Amino acid sequence: MMLVEGFLLGLASGGACLTYCAPVLVPYLLGEGRTVRAGVVPVAGFLGGRLAGYLVFAILAWLAHSAVSETMPHQKVIFAVVTIGLALLLIVYGFAGRERHCQVAAGVAANPSRRSFLLMPVSLGFLTGVNVCPPFLLAFSRAAQLSHLWQSLLFFAAFFVGTSAYVAPLPLAGLACRSEKIRVVGRLAAGVVGLFYLYSGVVTMIAAVH
Amino acid sequence: MAQSDSRVRRLVKAIALTLPLALLMAMMITGGRPAPTETRQLIGMMVAYVFTVGIFFLIVFTGRTHRYRSALFIGYAVSFVLTFIPGLIETRGSMAVTQSDMIQGQTPFCHMVIPTTLIPAAVSRTIIFPGSMLEGFASIGTMLVLWLGASVALGRGWCSWVCFYGGLDEGFSRIGRKPILKNISRKWTYLPFAILVAIVLLSAATLSPMYCAWLCPFKAVTEFEAVTSSIILVQTIIFVALFAGLVVVGPILTKRRTQCGLFCPMGAFQSFTNKANIFDIRVDPDKCVQCGRCETSCPTFSIDRETIKKGKTRMTCTKCGRCVDECPKGAVSFHIKGTPVGVRSQIARMAFVYPAFLVLAIMGSGMISVAVYRLLLLATTGSLVQ
Repeated sequence: MMLVEGFLLGLASGGACLTYCAPVLVPYLLGEGRTVRAGVVPVAGFLGGRLAGYLVFAILAWLAHSAVSETMPHQKVIFAVVTIGLALLLIVYGFAGRERHCQVAAGVAANPSRRSFLLMPVSLGFLTGVNVCPPFLLAFSRAAQLSHLWQSLLFFAAFFVGTSAYVAPLPLAGLACRSEKIRVVGRLAAGVVGLFYLYSGVVTMIAAVH
Repeated sequence: MAQSDSRVRRLVKAIALTLPLALLMAMMITGGRPAPTETRQLIGMMVAYVFTVGIFFLIVFTGRTHRYRSALFIGYAVSFVLTFIPGLIETRGSMAVTQSDMIQGQTPFCHMVIPTTLIPAAVSRTIIFPGSMLEGFASIGTMLVLWLGASVALGRGWCSWVCFYGGLDEGFSRIGRKPILKNISRKWTYLPFAILVAIVLLSAATLSPMYCAWLCPFKAVTEFEAVTSSIILVQTIIFVALFAGLVVVGPILTKRRTQCGLFCPMGAFQSFTNKANIFDIRVDPDKCVQCGRCETSCPTFSIDRETIKKGKTRMTCTKCGRCVDECPKGAVSFHIKGTPVGVRSQIARMAFVYPAFLVLAIMGSGMISVAVYRLLLLATTGSLVQ
């Protein structure tokens, strides 16, 4: 029952989840310029990273329940640090070392080792996963009512599966990005999104410190 | 003798083509109403009328498009600022828009927000802009209809013939004789598309018009949110910095329209309408001598060696006509898609310029008329507002 509840909550709010993930994932997919088939790997990496982020929150939700009245200590600082980390990753990807990234992509095409290739989407997925969006708060508050850690973990895993249904079509972005021009646009867009998140993170940090 | 005959023929042709426009403009500028009795308003109207009709006559008579279009385009943009700001002060008492104005949907809608409202609206059926759909000044519906019609007719020609901001950076790009900054990496010409992708995604995520809220340089000369918090203060600093950098300093240093060519997401969005528009600019490879004057003069970085080889411009071309004017061999011309390149190019030019100029003249003459009136008001009363 708890699994169904988590899955349905994810399915019902996945559209909103997608709008929060899209500014990070879509520029990245455009920037990498792959075929639909090859696009599945970074999306899977992103989802894997996001799942890891969700499971971290599952543990925190369970801890929040254990502590009953305590909310997460320094939660604003944590979110600010995460947002700044995400922003810096996007800015570096978008504006610095663009040729290097192209070479990595080219190297991956020739080399079956995908470790370096997966690092970026997994990191982006994890940092997006440990950020807060409205559907996520719903899941967090429900998970906080569960008595066992494993229940909380399963609830978030089911929630993740439900929301992922909306992310699944994103490898289709590969259809649009076979041109180098679109890859340049995608990378620059990631940098622009990163600048906005950097501002957002810094403002959150200042508010948290004060 | 033959030269004199040719000049007379051009004069007759120019008068014949200008006459219908002059009649149409007389109707449009008066709005079918009797001439105003207030002298300053009458002078403003007459100046606007003579200026716009005179510009069109020169475009037809001299065969030069950009030189004269530019004069009207810059006058239109400056007049927009001179009309809009005093208008806001008269109605609101300030250039600042308050939270109350926004809640009541009284924020004027401008075309720059179209990409961030249109795409999320298609997905979520929600217009994320604090303006009115149909009522009042500059409603969302009116601007969308105007944009749609002009886009079908002109494609990205919108940016050089309709946009009331474009003339500002075009004006600053005319200051100085030679560019100081010449080598701008081509990768930065993709930045407007990147900003477009970013703001559309972020607007959908935050349900707010991101460009309008954070990046529009023209807020500095139109309206801005009343500074009531540190966030709005930061936004205001960004607007002013972007205006100074992209609309004033950038064009002076590069002699290009840096805001339009390197930043504007609306321009990037508008580029896609060029694909559906029947007019384009083509290069005749048989006449081209590879002098590169079109490349170095293009205000929006829309033509380079690579595109010249293909005989066309990039999709970002705003059809301002500068490359056509600059080409010493007449190799660059206006063109109707599906017709042979370089054949009857004057017909193609007039087929594009006539409707494009009409839109510019109708929009511009009204603003020039009011701007002249405001300046006369300033000269006679010491104030731009009544």
